[in-house]
Amino acid sequence: MDRLIIALPKGRLLAEALPLLARVGIEPEPELADEESRRLLFRTSRPEIELVRVRSFDVATFVAFGAAQLGIAGSDVLAEFDYSEIYAPLDLGIGHCRLAVAVPEAMRAGDDPRRWSHVSVATKYPNLTRRHFARRGVQAECIKLNGALELAPALGLCGRIVDLVATGRTLRDNGLVEVERILDVSARLAVNRAALKTRSDEINRWIARFKEATDGQAT
Amino acid sequence: MADQPLDRALLPAGLADGLPPFAEQEARAIERLTAEFAAEGYQRVKPPLVEFEDSLLTGPGAALAPQMFRLMDPVSQRMMGVRADFTPQIARIAWSRLGNAPRPLRLCYAGQVLRVRGGQVRPERQFAQVGLELIGAEAMAADLEVLLLAAGALGAVGIAGLSVDLVQPTLVPAICRGHGLTVEATAEARAALDQKDGGRLARIGGRAGDVLRTLLEAAGPADRARATLAKLDLPAEATSDRDRLVRMIELTRSAAPDLALTVDPGEYRGFEYETGIAFAFFAKGLAAELGRGGRYRLAGGETATGATLYMDSVLKALPAPAAARCVYLPAGTPRRQAVELRRQGWRTVAGFEPGDAAAEARRLGCSHVWDGSAAREVGHG
Repeated sequence: MDRLIIALPKGRLLAEALPLLARVGIEPEPELADEESRRLLFRTSRPEIELVRVRSFDVATFVAFGAAQLGIAGSDVLAEFDYSEIYAPLDLGIGHCRLAVAVPEAMRAGDDPRRWSHVSVATKYPNLTRRHFARRGVQAECIKLNGALELAPALGLCGRIVDLVATGRTLRDNGLVEVERILDVSARLAVNRAALKTRSDEINRWIARFKEATDGQAT
Repeated sequence: MADQPLDRALLPAGLADGLPPFAEQEARAIERLTAEFAAEGYQRVKPPLVEFEDSLLTGPGAALAPQMFRLMDPVSQRMMGVRADFTPQIARIAWSRLGNAPRPLRLCYAGQVLRVRGGQVRPERQFAQVGLELIGAEAMAADLEVLLLAAGALGAVGIAGLSVDLVQPTLVPAICRGHGLTVEATAEARAALDQKDGGRLARIGGRAGDVLRTLLEAAGPADRARATLAKLDLPAEATSDRDRLVRMIELTRSAAPDLALTVDPGEYRGFEYETGIAFAFFAKGLAAELGRGGRYRLAGGETATGATLYMDSVLKALPAPAAARCVYLPAGTPRRQAVELRRQGWRTVAGFEPGDAAAEARRLGCSHVWDGSAAREVGHG
């Protein structure tokens, strides 16, 4: 049987994904959960399945280019890249959060959004951000950061940020308030298009198993 | 050789030099593909690289507007476009200059196209397309001929693990219309089908939701898809599309039982100008499509079907070319001898200076050296 690679995101989502994988019948070697481990490729209880652990944004890239046939990726990441070679057939019901615009408390008070023609925004999501503001006729100049976004307004890097918000605590701790929601986010099963076409029986079987495992959890 | 600053060799994004042995491998593959098409009566045409933009953008070309490089023609003062795809040009030839040629008209082509942006998975902005168009034949036998000829030609150049995905891009719009879905609900259904997201489809209620979910589940191996499709209870205006797809599956399965065939009745992405049966070619282990095809209409309304293959993908799916048998001829080898060896099918590389002939043969990558009476293998020293 051909090897099947599943790409998993590092960090918070990985912890939520592991029980799901177990319900699907894929038991990874224990080192996968060890964030300190420097390994990238992990074996599982199934000889044909291997797991790669990569940054959340890279899950989409691995799947789009067929380096992994399946992946678990946030809908934020999938929407940001909008890869034509990825299908996202299943909402896995984990990793819930939202992509939102946040501004400093003081700015919100004196601001009139109808007057904007141009805003500067720090974000990991330049495409979604530009699209969001363009829909209302505002040009967004995006400053791409990979972390510590909440610091950017306080240090004068930009006026506002677009970032993932789960509880809102990080925002509050940094004197920011959420003003607009762009996208409700949850983790999806990502499937490489060519793999689904050329290995359709096998891939469809895995999609069905993930669906059972997800439905089982919801009830 | 004087030292040149290496940055002079930089090429713009998505453009690349073809080097040995791959440039030759591609040329041979193109030659073989077009020979396969010619053998079934497809005659070669050669449209120009650049033409007026309005003719490139009519009919099947409309979807390509954002992909077209444009330049101003200083002579006519009109805007020209560099072709981003061959089909609009072949369609133009078919309705204009070959408008009164007997139908069905079989044409084929091979050449380069240029695009403003590469794809995410295929970054190439310039690549070769090799294809065929069958104009003026309504019968499904025409769809079948094009599909099997393109698939067979891919096999003939050495593609292993070929898989064909059949689609009918007009089926879903017909179902949405038949069930009276609003424009918004249709767009939502489209987006959900594009993602193959069953959960999102579930939010589309009623019969339409059920039917679309069944379509989604039908995607996969042809025989199972055929069984599901045949049983599906559809609104009247969608039944002919469904029947056509089912018939095409049956014809293909019986004509080519060994061809790996999948069906995706909900697929639409990238099939914007097809108006009937369409298909895409995949190879196992390759993320990019090898090519695609389908039925469309010429600007004048005449029906046509065709297929185009992307040589950059085809080359990636082929094994690396075997090294050619090539014999090194030491300086002084009579010309008569060289001609005779070439006549026997050898490639010859002539030496200019006396010296160790075997070492020189190895240095120049020749597999053999001429020792005055026979070609001797040189090995890998």
